[in-house]
Amino acid sequence: MTTASLQTPKVAAMQKRPSARHQMLVRQARIVLMPLACAFLMLVFWEAYVRISHVPAVILPGPLVVLATMAEIYPTLLLQAVPTTIESTIGFLISCSLGIVLAVLLCYSRIWREAVYPNLVLIQIIPKIALAPLFILWFGLGAESRLAFSVFISVFPIIVSTYEGLTNVDPNLLRLCRACQAQEWQVFLSVRVPSALPFIFSGMKVSITLAIIGVVIGEFITAQAGLGYLIVASSARSDTPVALAAVVVLCGAGLLLYGIVTGLQSIVNERYSRGGSR
Amino acid sequence: MLDMAAEPAGRFIEASQIAKIYETGGGVVEALSSISFDCAQGDFLSLLGPSGCGKSTLLMIMAGLEPATDGRASVAGEVVMSPRADVGVVFQDPTLLPWRTTLENVLFPIEMMRLRRSLYRDRAVALLEEVGLGKFLTKRPHELSGGMRQRVAICRALVHEPKILLMDEPFSALDAITRDQMNALLLDLLIRHAKTVLFVTHSIREAVMLSDRILVMGGRPGRIVATEPVPFARPRAPELEDTAEFVALVARLRNAIEHSYGGHRAGGGA
Repeated sequence: MTTASLQTPKVAAMQKRPSARHQMLVRQARIVLMPLACAFLMLVFWEAYVRISHVPAVILPGPLVVLATMAEIYPTLLLQAVPTTIESTIGFLISCSLGIVLAVLLCYSRIWREAVYPNLVLIQIIPKIALAPLFILWFGLGAESRLAFSVFISVFPIIVSTYEGLTNVDPNLLRLCRACQAQEWQVFLSVRVPSALPFIFSGMKVSITLAIIGVVIGEFITAQAGLGYLIVASSARSDTPVALAAVVVLCGAGLLLYGIVTGLQSIVNERYSRGGSR
Repeated sequence: MLDMAAEPAGRFIEASQIAKIYETGGGVVEALSSISFDCAQGDFLSLLGPSGCGKSTLLMIMAGLEPATDGRASVAGEVVMSPRADVGVVFQDPTLLPWRTTLENVLFPIEMMRLRRSLYRDRAVALLEEVGLGKFLTKRPHELSGGMRQRVAICRALVHEPKILLMDEPFSALDAITRDQMNALLLDLLIRHAKTVLFVTHSIREAVMLSDRILVMGGRPGRIVATEPVPFARPRAPELEDTAEFVALVARLRNAIEHSYGGHRAGGGA
């Protein structure tokens, strides 16, 4: 560096110490390693407990048994993971489209805002899972009922967050638009939608997990295929290792979908987050 | 370039008996009371006054962004009912779109006015180069300093070639040094782009430095308490501030502001 000659002894001394970069690496490593270590420790305790107390594997198999089961039946697990993942994704995408359309209606229609929105907020509060059996009654045993239920429980976060995003636009920007004689469709496309994107994505993060829950519950009840079906069926046979193996794969599928949405969110936030503006 | 055919030159911008009354929960607030003034084409007119005297409200009424309760605002002989295409507005806050680059922000009014972007792109670039932002065309607002952002906002107000520039305390959020630089930059810019300017400020020195004429406003209700012509020739250099005439005019304006309070309160900072 050209500034080296200007450094005071204090600065020079600081540079000889473990560098700031090194410290940051350590900090980042801790963020990743600490939770992993904790999880590993819990698995060790679980395994130790199972071995010491001789709990029958039907009640609680140890993690090593679950792992062995996964290795053994992985074709089945993957086969069942496919419909669950696909239906969750479809349910999520329907929720996104439907939720965004409804939010736009709420944004632009006073009647919708006054009459419908409070009810939507109210429906959020009721335990929607209680309605799952009725969806089977209404939509049959096929994918339709699982999708409908998945959408039913995952659409609300999208509606609410999109509506918040579309309406919580910086009033100064709206005034600028008026000064520029912008028409509302231009304000919508050029200001409201970009301002709402970070909000929409935080709603999507909640929605994707709910969409998976909706499909799995649907699979519990319709019992045709999917990881939810596998869990119910193997539990009924007291095949606990298989049930737990299915749960592990379900976690993996959930993490994958959640990870995709989070990845997209960070790309969107980098560009559209309001925090970067001033 | 300037068409003066229709208008008597002395009344390019005109306010006549403008009043603004807000109804709040606590009652009725009279923000502006019978404000009348006019401004000739090409003149730089400042509205100078303390916070809360309604000067920004008056500017918003002239911009067609707020309705007057009574009276009439007119620009180029037409009553102002809504924002006009021949007016550019600079707000106190730069109000840039955070997701857009510098150049895209400057072109924003072109898009909103449904004009062809390609016709104005070169002009936008030229304006940005003129204010020293030629190397920052693709930067986004959070990568710029406060002074740079306000320069972008000025370019944005000029991009569609308005005849009139309305500026609402554009430099009040900047530090004193940056503010002086912005004043010099604005003076310089206006030499090459002749505009009629209505400029709201609470800085006496800024008003004297920039204006051809200053309207001193007092508060509660907002009204014009004094009018001072500024006799200094253009172009004006920063050294103007050190001349006795400048200091004397600043003192006279400060007196007028203090007088509007009945002498009980010191005037706003110079």
